[in-house]
Amino acid sequence: MDAETHEVVDRFQAETSIDLAAQLRLIKENYCWDTLISTGYGRHLSQKVLGGETVTEIKAYTTSAHHFHGDIETVIDLGGQDTKALLINRHTGRLLKFEMNDKCSAGTGKFFEMMAATLGLGLNELVAAALKGNSSLEINSTCTVFAESEVISLLTTGISVEDIARAIHESLLKKLVSLLSKMMTADSSSILFVGGGAKNSALVAFLSDAIDKKVIVPEYPDFFGAYGAALLSKKTLNQNMEMK
Amino acid sequence: MSQLTPLFMDEFAGFPLKRALGQVVKRRENGARVVGAYCSYAPVELIWAMGGVPAILCAFSNTPIAKAEETLPANLCPLIKSSFGFIELKTCPFFELTDAVVGETTCDGKKKMFELIEKHRPLYVMDLPQCPANEGAVEYWKHSVTGFKKFLEAEFNTTITDNSLEESIQASNAKNSLVEEIFAFGSHKPSVITWQEMYDVATYAMVSHGGETIAKLREIIATLTERREKGIFTSTEHAKRVLITGCPVGGDVLKVLKLVDEEGATIVGLDSCTGLKPFVGRIQEGSGDPLLAIAKRYLEIPCACMTPNTGRTDALKKQVTLLKPDLVIDLVLQSCHTYNIEAVKVESFVRNGLGTNYLKVVTDFSAQDLGQLKTRIGAALEMD
Repeated sequence: MDAETHEVVDRFQAETSIDLAAQLRLIKENYCWDTLISTGYGRHLSQKVLGGETVTEIKAYTTSAHHFHGDIETVIDLGGQDTKALLINRHTGRLLKFEMNDKCSAGTGKFFEMMAATLGLGLNELVAAALKGNSSLEINSTCTVFAESEVISLLTTGISVEDIARAIHESLLKKLVSLLSKMMTADSSSILFVGGGAKNSALVAFLSDAIDKKVIVPEYPDFFGAYGAALLSKKTLNQNMEMK
Repeated sequence: MSQLTPLFMDEFAGFPLKRALGQVVKRRENGARVVGAYCSYAPVELIWAMGGVPAILCAFSNTPIAKAEETLPANLCPLIKSSFGFIELKTCPFFELTDAVVGETTCDGKKKMFELIEKHRPLYVMDLPQCPANEGAVEYWKHSVTGFKKFLEAEFNTTITDNSLEESIQASNAKNSLVEEIFAFGSHKPSVITWQEMYDVATYAMVSHGGETIAKLREIIATLTERREKGIFTSTEHAKRVLITGCPVGGDVLKVLKLVDEEGATIVGLDSCTGLKPFVGRIQEGSGDPLLAIAKRYLEIPCACMTPNTGRTDALKKQVTLLKPDLVIDLVLQSCHTYNIEAVKVESFVRNGLGTNYLKVVTDFSAQDLGQLKTRIGAALEMD
């Protein structure tokens, strides 16, 4: 991110491998920066390899949400291994409170991945199927592992893949709505949806219906935390300038 | 930090439970009977009065849980599973030392677990009234206290006189006020006492009694006073301050407290039963009815098993006013419904009533949620 204009100059993404440190060293070889802040679950390892400071993704999301969408109060982040909901004071940009999902993978992006695999679909196919499906069906298991066996038994009863795909979305939706319920004020007409899960267009549409609010998804929802970290690093840059 | 004088100059640095075990063993070798107890409601004055020593049986280790789950349901409080697993494995050194055990009906899980261990030791279960403000609650609880006295007398063929009870009450009061004085050092900014030291003191005081204990606690106060006067601090000047409340903590669940340390914050108070809670409040001396005096004081313990538990918010208000934390962490053990639900009221009280940031953490003794806890605690401490 350019510190003056806040324009994003470059972005890239890679799947987490078993040797995260080696991936980070590659970044060090191929990129240069004036200041850097690491965020997310690997932030401390990243700091070890790349230097700089760390910030939790919660603060990073708060910062970018307030910067890019100043009127937003509520942010929901659906990531690979957890889901977070944030309530921000729209005047000051201060984080007022946050909630996270329970420690299991139910209600996270991982749930979609596993359910898609159970149905033998890719993630995009799962989303497309859900849009065609009927919402009459309910998956009751809250645990990813139990939900998997529930989906298999539904398949054996001859229910269509589309209806099951829809039910999988509804199941996750219920968790998002419950998490959001504690983080929304009556007078906010829209919420911000970020993280990889926000790329799921079916889920975005269902969520908007469920909470009866506009759901805003930024252009690159899965980079939104990184943008927040970049915005925060500007403070360090300014401090360094002062030192000089 | 290197110039810190340790509060305990012994071989048990970093091992408060081993120190406590040493205390129990020493008394046992001198002929004292060991009575195991599961919570702060156990009126230890009766045990001291008959020349016995209490041993705390609540366990906080993840290790015996697999064994416990062979018998108990998995979705049960980890403290109950851990305590039971240790007994099944015969690896709890405290339980192995006990001659009798006292339980209290603080929760359904413990209550039914006691039925499974009564084959191992003579057991007395004290029935705890759970609406402490209702008419007759204190009198009912006094029956339980009296029943416990009769149980000890019959089991150990002894008599607990009113005089010995009175002495025991006075010794407890003296000890408890010193422990309270030590915890009040948490108010200093920057900190002059660490949470490990508070935990050391609480664990030691739980199984200690009498002149030697009073002298030791006074010595600790002198050390802390010296730190304060010489400006020897255990935290940085601007470290965020954290008060821990909720379920008892120890062993593997200290992971939460260690994460607070890792984030550069300082824990200024431990409000739970493994912290200050059992040492707050005094038993009336010279009342003429020591059993009633004991019953009154113990029923004032603000555990979430009580309803309404107004004492909890009163205690939190006092602690927050004294210690001035930036964040209150409400630590709830998985499946502890009373603390988990009470958290709704506690959150509202801490945020709106006291104007202090609040974080509820529901966890068990495993390491599975370390990454998520680190993010949660880190984010709560980043808030201003």
